[in-house]
Amino acid sequence: MKGYFGEFGGQYVPETLLPALQELEKEFSAAWGDREFRDEFAGYLRDYVGRPSPVTHARRLSKHLGIGVWLKREDLNHTGSHKINNAIGQILLARRMGKQRIIAETGAGQHGVATATACALFGLPCVVYMGTLDIERQHMNVERMRLLGAEVVPVSTGTATLKDATSEAIRDWVTNVDTTYYLLGSAVGPHPYPTLVREFQRVIGEEARGQILRHTGSLPRAVIACVGGGSNAIGIFSGFMNDPVELIGVEAYGDGNGRHGASICFGIPGVLHGARSHLLQNRDGQVLDTHSVAAGLDYPGVGPEHSFLSSTRRARYELVDDRQALDAFRLLNRMEGIAPALESAHAIGFLTQYAKERPGATVLVNLSGRGDKDLHTVLQEGL
Amino acid sequence: MIAEAVRANKKAVIPYVTAGLPDLDTTGEIVRALGDAGAAAIEIGIPFSDPMADGPVLQKASHRALKAGFTLEGLLPRLAKWSASVSAPLIVMSYINPLMRRGLAETLARLSDSGIQGVIVPDLPCDASGIHEMCRDIGMDLIRLVAPTTSEERRREVVSQCSGFVYAVTVKGVTGARSSLPAEVRRQVKSIKSLTDLPVCTGFGVSTAAQVEEMLSFADGVIVGSHLMARVMEAKEPVEEAGNTLKILMA
Repeated sequence: MKGYFGEFGGQYVPETLLPALQELEKEFSAAWGDREFRDEFAGYLRDYVGRPSPVTHARRLSKHLGIGVWLKREDLNHTGSHKINNAIGQILLARRMGKQRIIAETGAGQHGVATATACALFGLPCVVYMGTLDIERQHMNVERMRLLGAEVVPVSTGTATLKDATSEAIRDWVTNVDTTYYLLGSAVGPHPYPTLVREFQRVIGEEARGQILRHTGSLPRAVIACVGGGSNAIGIFSGFMNDPVELIGVEAYGDGNGRHGASICFGIPGVLHGARSHLLQNRDGQVLDTHSVAAGLDYPGVGPEHSFLSSTRRARYELVDDRQALDAFRLLNRMEGIAPALESAHAIGFLTQYAKERPGATVLVNLSGRGDKDLHTVLQEGL
Repeated sequence: MIAEAVRANKKAVIPYVTAGLPDLDTTGEIVRALGDAGAAAIEIGIPFSDPMADGPVLQKASHRALKAGFTLEGLLPRLAKWSASVSAPLIVMSYINPLMRRGLAETLARLSDSGIQGVIVPDLPCDASGIHEMCRDIGMDLIRLVAPTTSEERRREVVSQCSGFVYAVTVKGVTGARSSLPAEVRRQVKSIKSLTDLPVCTGFGVSTAAQVEEMLSFADGVIVGSHLMARVMEAKEPVEEAGNTLKILMA
């Protein structure tokens, strides 16, 4: 069915938003089929974002773990994460649609910074919704957004994290749907967002496939990425979908006391924020509180395409907890001189386990963002 | 017989009450008080952790009810008694996830068996034919919403799968009281009426007797939620407050 990945996806939204989603779908497919739009997008990715991002051989880490580790360096993009790819793509779309005002939600603040940056670049007003808990733990990104001219609106309802910021952004959109473009940051939400975000992030996988082939002469055994909503993972996966390559998403296993963000591993299909996908919910259909040391993985839902890839077993989803992610953060600093975002550190954290499973294998890890924003959190946990 | 109840009531006001606030027993008494005060039908709102179509008042009501321990499993066994206690038909309003958790068809059937005559889902899937058929099979009304942004073509489709009444959303936005309501509502209601014989009721934003009066000059009924729940949450005697608030709106 249109707008679904198998039984996942769909458009579970207030009636008021339906025409806007239909318009978005129409405009996106027209834009994506338009040579001029594609060239403009590629131009900004090259000249503003700094693409292609390199693939780095993590030599000392490889030796340490006994596998070949290659890192796709999305941390080197302008603004420090893969989020800018999608923000640039969608802002070009918003401009094409004649929208005057941009809104976004953010968890770790990376998508908020990317959106605020894109808005500054094109001179558009920007409102970013952010949970008060995330504002506290990602303070530097809040200041960056304000410097970029964005208004950061604190959301204190519910769990005061990404899920509530997303609900609040949707409420704004319902109210101002005529003038406003909702720049969603992950591969979640109602159709066409999961598809649109994947297409704007596809560049990660397409570049990486060519790069790893040039470096090593063959495809990697596995492609590994962290999964919150799942945009960096779906971006890199889409370059390898038809290859004999294992696709592995790493979910946040949280504090080890049952509070986590592992929607696919522990969730049950349900509807949140406009799409049906795996959802952390109780027996009564209420959405559960989540926890991860990485704010960007602290979300009870997941992109519907990941639910689908899990159901068909094309991809598998694994767990890394706060402690393992923090260890991986330190390890990558010491071994390679790279500070990963705590989100991306979950993907690095899985390598220890994978090295036991497949000694000697070559893996490509999506290093989706840099860790400067997380220094505060890591210092609190003790170096 | 929701359509009949709305038509038969000369001043058809449909109050919305969040279930489980401050507790389920009180909600049962509020339902009876609203029935006694002359409600045309009564909407019982199922609290949800992430009510994305609701404004601050109903978000707070949902949140408080969940904190106080509301569960759908706790509500279901009480509904039969509630529906027997009033002559007005009872309608359940719920986001789709709680209804789907134990199987959508099964939950709808349980609601129907408890005397619930209609259901309103604010985040129904775009293609709602599945739930439309489930409701039709068990003789339950599926009340669908038409928004100010809904196209003519879509309006036809929605109305054709709707029963009980058509819920005309008066404003672009979330639920909650507004001091003024847009003038286009009259045109919107008229255009829906040209497509169906069902009653058309307006909702979102209504909070005064004057607004009720104005709406009823062209609509068949008016839904009042946030205003009522704001009063109920503030009141020392929520049951009396609910009945009195409705009486004032209908005056």
